[in-house]
Amino acid sequence: MAVRVDGSKCVYCAGCVSVCPFLALTLNEVKIIVDEKKCTECGTCVKACPAKALSLPKKISG
Amino acid sequence: MEEYDAVVVGAGPAGTTFAAEAASRGMSVVVIDKKKELGSPVRCGEGIGIDFSSGRKLELPRSCIASDIEGALMFSPNGKSIKLTTPQTKGHVLERKIFDKFLAMEAGRKGAHILPRTMATGLLKENGKIAGVKAVSFGEEIEFKAPLVVSAEGMEAKLAREAGIDALATLYDVDTCYEYEMVNVPCEPFIEIYFGSAAPRGYVWVFPKGKDVANVGIGVGGSSGADPKKCLDEWIARNPRMKKAEIIEVKAGIISVGAPVKKMVADNFMAVGTSAHQVDPVHGGGIALAMKAARIAAEVAAKAHSARDFSEKTLSAYETQWRAAESRKLEKRLLLRKVLEKLSDDDFNAVIGMIDSQDLEKLLSGDFKPIVTKVVAKRPSILKVATALLG
Repeated sequence: MAVRVDGSKCVYCAGCVSVCPFLALTLNEVKIIVDEKKCTECGTCVKACPAKALSLPKKISG
Repeated sequence: MEEYDAVVVGAGPAGTTFAAEAASRGMSVVVIDKKKELGSPVRCGEGIGIDFSSGRKLELPRSCIASDIEGALMFSPNGKSIKLTTPQTKGHVLERKIFDKFLAMEAGRKGAHILPRTMATGLLKENGKIAGVKAVSFGEEIEFKAPLVVSAEGMEAKLAREAGIDALATLYDVDTCYEYEMVNVPCEPFIEIYFGSAAPRGYVWVFPKGKDVANVGIGVGGSSGADPKKCLDEWIARNPRMKKAEIIEVKAGIISVGAPVKKMVADNFMAVGTSAHQVDPVHGGGIALAMKAARIAAEVAAKAHSARDFSEKTLSAYETQWRAAESRKLEKRLLLRKVLEKLSDDDFNAVIGMIDSQDLEKLLSGDFKPIVTKVVAKRPSILKVATALLG
């Protein structure tokens, strides 16, 4: 699991890349790529995104 | 594999200015950038002071400049304003897409190799030392070998962080920004700044690009929890002047409004511009700072190249010179930001109501005492937040 990017809201500003403490995000011009092995779902990028295009996956409890 | 004296990552103003200056000093330089169109997408309000080339001759073609700015208008939440027309508030609103391309052309004319559509994927290491950059260029993996890597990556700063530079942006020390370029916005040749809770810990700006075209944007504190797009849309909706405004372009980004990075160089590595958080903490502007840093860095790099010595010790001359030129000013600006962010709407209304343009000019130039004394005399409650400015 890792942070999710809504491509229809993303404006490719790479704000999420800049604040990710784990270097888990990359902007390759037209797409944010999430390295699922590095993402810890800490949510920093979700807060930083000016377009509110990022979200954490819903935890399935039980 | 390609070999150069320096590989520059990022073709914004920092990277291409470095490349032009280093190439004209005889270094072989390549500038790589992941974008297919340099200068696009814009993540910037595009405003710049008239003294941005810091005394050096850089004649911009008129096409790089959208409009000339005569001064600034600062608004309090209740709509009162102060007009500033000092030399520091004169400037331009740029057309960044053309400006960035122009700077890249200048670098190319000086002999630098420019390579768009080429994304750095990591540092190339030899015996544990930085020896170049790994990249994907037009879909093909490639290595650029060079004794010097220059990070002009902007806020992303991924290679800078890989090289050990503390360029990770924290939410507290960034503003997250959303901006529309709009038509049908009647404009005078003044940049407009709107303080208050409409933009939590930031401000709304209107930067005219013509008589009826402007960048209308907002920056909010990264830790404020505010949604910049929502705040901007609301501000526009309740502003009668924006009634007929139409969106032509959407721009966004986040910007450092904290201190510069603690260390700007490492063995075989330099960080310049926004990558090193060389940004004004009050207004978030970084183009002029980036270009000045890039010039200093290129001078130092050329000397290092002559001496075949790219050690951190040699490269640190860049950081020493840059700090001597900028640190004091930026520290004062950071102090001012940290006071501004504590002011309430009532504080802003009171302060803007009781000071004049000369007071404001002093405040912005770092001469805090006269204005704090004046404001506190009439509004003692402000002393608590403003006391930091008296230190």
